[in-house]
Amino acid sequence: MSAVSSARPPRLSLTGLERWALVVLLVVSFAFFALDGTTSETFLSAPNLRNVLGSQAVIGVLALASLPPLIAREFDLSVGSICVLASIIIAKAMADLSLPLGLAIVTGLVVGGAIGLMNGWLVAYLRVNALIATLGVGTVITGFVQATTDGNSIVGGISPDLVSFGAGQWLGLPRTVYALGVVGVIIAYILVQTPYGRYLHFVGSSPASTRLVGVDVARTVLGSFVISGVLAGLAGALLIAQNGNATPQPGADLTLTAVSAAFLGATAIRPGRFNVIGTIVAIFFLAFSVNGLTLLGVDAWINGVFTGAALVVAVAIAALLGRRGAAA
Amino acid sequence: MSPGGRQLRVAGIAKAFNGVPALHDVGFAARPGRVHFLVGGNGSGKSTLIKILAGICDADAGEVTVGDETVPAPRITPHWSRRAGLAFVHQDPGVFAELSVAENLVAGRGYPRGHLGKIDWAALRAHAIELIERFELGVAPETPLARLRPAQRTMVAIARALQTDDDAASAVLILDEPTASLPAHEATSLLATLRRYAEAGHTIVVVSHRLDEVLNAGDDLSVLRDGRLVTTCAVAEIDRAELVRLIVGHQLDGPAARIPDAGDAGPERPLLEVFDDADDDTARPVLGVRGGEIVGLAGLLGSGRSRMLRGVFGLPDGGARRVHVGGQPVAPGIKGAMSAGIAYLPEDRDGEAAFGELSVRENLTANAVGRYWSRGRFDRRREARNVREAVAAFGIKTASDRLPIAALSGGNRQKVVLARWMRVAPRVLLLDEPTQGVDVGARSDIHDLLRAAAAEGTAVVVASSDLEELELLCDRVVVLVQGTVAHELSGASIDARTIAARSFDADREAVTS
Repeated sequence: MSAVSSARPPRLSLTGLERWALVVLLVVSFAFFALDGTTSETFLSAPNLRNVLGSQAVIGVLALASLPPLIAREFDLSVGSICVLASIIIAKAMADLSLPLGLAIVTGLVVGGAIGLMNGWLVAYLRVNALIATLGVGTVITGFVQATTDGNSIVGGISPDLVSFGAGQWLGLPRTVYALGVVGVIIAYILVQTPYGRYLHFVGSSPASTRLVGVDVARTVLGSFVISGVLAGLAGALLIAQNGNATPQPGADLTLTAVSAAFLGATAIRPGRFNVIGTIVAIFFLAFSVNGLTLLGVDAWINGVFTGAALVVAVAIAALLGRRGAAA
Repeated sequence: MSPGGRQLRVAGIAKAFNGVPALHDVGFAARPGRVHFLVGGNGSGKSTLIKILAGICDADAGEVTVGDETVPAPRITPHWSRRAGLAFVHQDPGVFAELSVAENLVAGRGYPRGHLGKIDWAALRAHAIELIERFELGVAPETPLARLRPAQRTMVAIARALQTDDDAASAVLILDEPTASLPAHEATSLLATLRRYAEAGHTIVVVSHRLDEVLNAGDDLSVLRDGRLVTTCAVAEIDRAELVRLIVGHQLDGPAARIPDAGDAGPERPLLEVFDDADDDTARPVLGVRGGEIVGLAGLLGSGRSRMLRGVFGLPDGGARRVHVGGQPVAPGIKGAMSAGIAYLPEDRDGEAAFGELSVRENLTANAVGRYWSRGRFDRRREARNVREAVAAFGIKTASDRLPIAALSGGNRQKVVLARWMRVAPRVLLLDEPTQGVDVGARSDIHDLLRAAAAEGTAVVVASSDLEELELLCDRVVVLVQGTVAHELSGASIDARTIAARSFDADREAVTS
């Protein structure tokens, strides 16, 4: 991960080719599996497509959650762990405390926000390296989750509304896709329509310059971790909806896929900037590719290999583009 | 004269940058056992000469002789320079604050290695102790450099530069402004060290702007002015007045009137008042600038020009000065300064003002982002319109305001950050080296913009080491020494040479008083 920490997203480039490369890649990958003899039938079936689309809400929300810190050039590697913790807390709130669904979800969001606040405080005020701080916090959370659940899933007592939200459809699309869309709109709004979004880009570009235009750098960074924490909490609710239960799983895999998608997304649409649409395109590129490869008969390990490789390639492209930009 | 010592002789050195001559037929000799000062004003060519000797910059003509080895000056490489026995200590001595004295001493030379290539720490320590004794550094090898006094750090850098010198005193030691950032007593102890090395037989060349240091600690001196050698002579043959005359190029009249109180600079109360004392309300301001006035801050390296501006803008590294604008006290911190209408352009444009990969547009509105947020939306249309207006009004040359600012030339980058602040009509505009690294055309554009700002009633303060700029631009120039105003020039007495002379004078008075 240390290679990632020094990587900058590519500079702004106005060449159209670059903008759409990832979209083209998504289309090519989709077309390949749609046309390939061994996969086409299953790949194009409505249940498969719905399954792929519907199962990306958690990862997608986590990828969007990691955008604000990434834009400020910090990392939040605890999003996956916060998500799992929130799912356990929301499930317990419903099962053990009999809280109504809405209140249980709010509890999850508050816990996520509180952990984000701690991450932000460590990074922005105590100046702990963000990779170390969030990796450490995430590991502690994972341990805590194991301790409170003894490794057992929470199956009973979960609001049927939440489970049916995870299983149901609106207009032929899984409902969780709409949840992802709503979160995308919220993050895009924060990044594009508020002064705070600008300040995040300022901090990511030059903290010293940011300070001299009168913006509080530490508070801006703190805020980015709170946003990512709250959204990771929301992803926890979606995790229950998707699985129908709350399972104490390690959050690290979720984090890796989410961060990979964010980096991949920064090579598209607005090359050089972490952006919402690019991130969502990246999510579905990863999902359809892995799905297609699995249908080709490749074992489950392909998920990790493909995602990891995509992360490295995305960061390498970012570094190359950045160097080209610097030379120009 | 020590038998080991080598003479350094340069002859006929010439160098031009883009057709503009920086050095013309410069020649002198520095002899073993003597401390030879190289003096001259800003832009006189001292640094270029040092760079040529170090092989960092290629001369156009001339030759250099060290001991009995002569090489054409255009062919000097860093390798030749080191092999010939030239040892350099640059202005920023390039030491590593977190590492120990011992590690700093071997930096760039490789650690002693032991079995399997591991660092032989015992050998390193022994080597360091030997150097510490030989150079009388008086520190423990494991002390982190950050814990040493500034002069000691420079001495470590000197020891590092001289250590390979096998027959003890054959190297020529060349130091570029080694005392510029040192307080007086530290400078004295460093100069005493240099004297000791000279007595051991080294040839020592020191670039300095502190004339008293030259007169007290030097044996010989060479004066450069506008890229030409004015004279080389023994220090004993020259007095201070004569030296100043040689540096600035003409005779100065008697001492300039000292301005006891900047607050009385005009009939009206100054718009900007800067106080020295944090809590004494009866104190008079150390600096007062009226609306519509352009005041220059001059002074030698380390005189506190930048610090003064940073302090007025509420930055802690500027000492956070007590400031009044329009008679009202300014709240502490950057936000306080900004809401009082103070604008500040730092010297480090690319590091502290511009957002390199962000667009010209985002850079231009960076200090006023909140103004475009209304009813929950960012008013991009109004922002784009305002930016277009500013790009036209400030003559910013860019193909599009959506290009990253890093793609623009230095002059245009500076115009963007200047427009950022001038657009919001500041009451006080502080600029540090506003035209550094800017081409001639943009420089004059920027000067016009500053005059226009003053005409609108802004109090403009310009810190600059470009004395011609101060001459062209300013209604008044104050000369700073150690962060306080030592002299003030106004009207016809503002010319580059007078400013230079006053800067040297002021520095001397501060050191001797």
